Amino acid sequence: MTDPTSATPCDLTVVIVDDHSIFRSGLRSELDPALHVLGEAATVDEAITVVVATQPRVVLLDVHLPGGTGGGGAEVIHAAAPLAPSTLFLALSVSDAADDVVTVIRAGARGYITKSASGAEVSDAARRVAGGDAVFSPRLAGFVLDAFGAVAGEIAATTDELDRLSAREQEVMRLIARGYAYKEVATALFISPKTVETHVSAVLRKLQLSSRHELTAWATARKLL
Amino acid sequence: MTLLRPTDPRFTGHLVRPRLRIVAGVCAGFARHSGLPVTFVRTVTFVLALCGGAGVLLYGWLWATTPDEAADGAAVSDLRGDRLPKAALTGSGPAPSDPRTVPGDLPAGAGAGPGAGIAAAADAPAGEPRRAPVTEILLGLALVGTAGALIADRLGADLPLDAIIPAIVALAGTGLAWRQFAELRSGAGPRSSGMLVRALGALVLVALGILLFFVTSENPNVWTVVVAALSVLVGVAVVVAPWAVRLTRDLSDERAAREREAGRAEMAAHLHDSVLQTLALIQQKAGPHSEAARLARAQERDLRDWLFTGATNGPVDLAAELRGIATTVERDFAVHVDVVAVGSVDREVPDALLAAAREAILNAARHAGGSVSVYVESSPRAIEVSVTDRGPGFSIGDIPADRMGVRESILARMQRAGGTASVRPGPGGTGTEIRLSLPLDTQEDTP
Repeated sequence: MTDPTSATPCDLTVVIVDDHSIFRSGLRSELDPALHVLGEAATVDEAITVVVATQPRVVLLDVHLPGGTGGGGAEVIHAAAPLAPSTLFLALSVSDAADDVVTVIRAGARGYITKSASGAEVSDAARRVAGGDAVFSPRLAGFVLDAFGAVAGEIAATTDELDRLSAREQEVMRLIARGYAYKEVATALFISPKTVETHVSAVLRKLQLSSRHELTAWATARKLL
Repeated sequence: MTLLRPTDPRFTGHLVRPRLRIVAGVCAGFARHSGLPVTFVRTVTFVLALCGGAGVLLYGWLWATTPDEAADGAAVSDLRGDRLPKAALTGSGPAPSDPRTVPGDLPAGAGAGPGAGIAAAADAPAGEPRRAPVTEILLGLALVGTAGALIADRLGADLPLDAIIPAIVALAGTGLAWRQFAELRSGAGPRSSGMLVRALGALVLVALGILLFFVTSENPNVWTVVVAALSVLVGVAVVVAPWAVRLTRDLSDERAAREREAGRAEMAAHLHDSVLQTLALIQQKAGPHSEAARLARAQERDLRDWLFTGATNGPVDLAAELRGIATTVERDFAVHVDVVAVGSVDREVPDALLAAAREAILNAARHAGGSVSVYVESSPRAIEVSVTDRGPGFSIGDIPADRMGVRESILARMQRAGGTASVRPGPGGTGTEIRLSLPLDTQEDTP
């Protein structure tokens, strides 16, 4: 969470999608000046229009949104991502329960951050997403460990396996769940920060593509609510 | 039936049988429902019972068709829809097999007055299961009756055997149906094919009894056959009706529970969208370590617990305990405690581990402040708790001997519980990480 070196030199364009105007304006004023806010949206339909029209680099996307067919943030990603190919999505959630976020992650978001995070933290997360990294909070890491059976001792046999985590990925997730920043994870495991990011991205990919029933079940349950 | 159920809104909306009862609570329930004095209702029932047993029939019918208050109470107080049907059915468990509900003893019971009510009230709420084998006793009596009739016949007494035997067969069928019905009410018996077979058997017996009654009589003609057919239909209706009524009632109970659950979910969604968002905003604007942010966070945690974790009413797990500790610590210190729990423990967590974890969190809050991460991993083999802070850090060697906190309440406590505890530098060399680990196989009793 504290890695300013990954900031891109040019201005980063963002769109803020949240149904609460107070939250949008609050976040807008708190964001790093280097982040250039192209627009705001309050509903699913508005969000799709704005994202497609402005083609931002990063969309700060609330998980729960009114409008559309009731799919919330996930629906925005599904509809807007094909029309805005260079846009990346960072999920914002008021809930710090990670299963809340699984649908949005599985729809294609590159990470998630809670709404109580400060403007600097959100800016940093947006920058990391723009730089191609995945943003994992400690709770999401814990959730991943749970969902992929890491606690029960399940270890992926091959690197291609989508339904289990490799031993190294588990180590990385455990440290992130303990509150370690990526750089600290790298130091603790004697690997480079870039390798940590590779592992995290691999886990994110598994989270998006795996057909483990825990993930699909949670995703379905969230859609129903 | 509709006559018996005035829907005057001044009184209780539904006719329910109270737990304070003499026989089955029908009179008391009806009195409460209609606003008439209980004594009057009881007297009328008693008098009706003397008029060819009409009161008894009425009483039995009402008993069969009105729900227990306990069941309704459970339905209201228990918002968890999935638990509801079971709770509602077991709530009425002891009633059907209660010997005092045998229709034959109704008039005496109903007429016993308030004096007996106290005794009944005293043991009714206790709800101990009195599983008197009413049906078996009735069946036994029927068999003894048959035998007696046969013996009397042999001895030369002039008994209408062709009437008695069908009557006993019909009675046995009704008894079977009755038991089946009682089990259905109590929810004890699963709705299996066995019950269906028994229900069918009961029906066949009733039908057979009524048929025999007419077929064995002298000189059967068209009218006896017609009467027999009608009797069979009436008999079937009598046996099946309470069962059908009860099933319908169960169905509507379940539907009501589902509606309540839906209402709750809607409220949760609304609160989620409004109050939780505002609390998050307060935390964001107020800065992570301010008083306002701490209050908002504590409120958020409380509300979230109520909204989302209320649905799982299992044994209190380690993660929930630690979150509780985190909340109290956050109230007392300017600190932000994050609890991440992985895995679940299906057994009692030793107090020693919890106490040591509490001490570690308190230690971090006291000496480091800022943000504290708590990570719990519970696997089938071991429970591991790690508490990480980003404070000045300390090593176990630097602790003065008189500082009991870490040495005694964390390290020694874990050792006594059969686990281990270690203190090491936190992430990136700053701060402290305290790791507690408790293997579950060699788990010993807590001191």
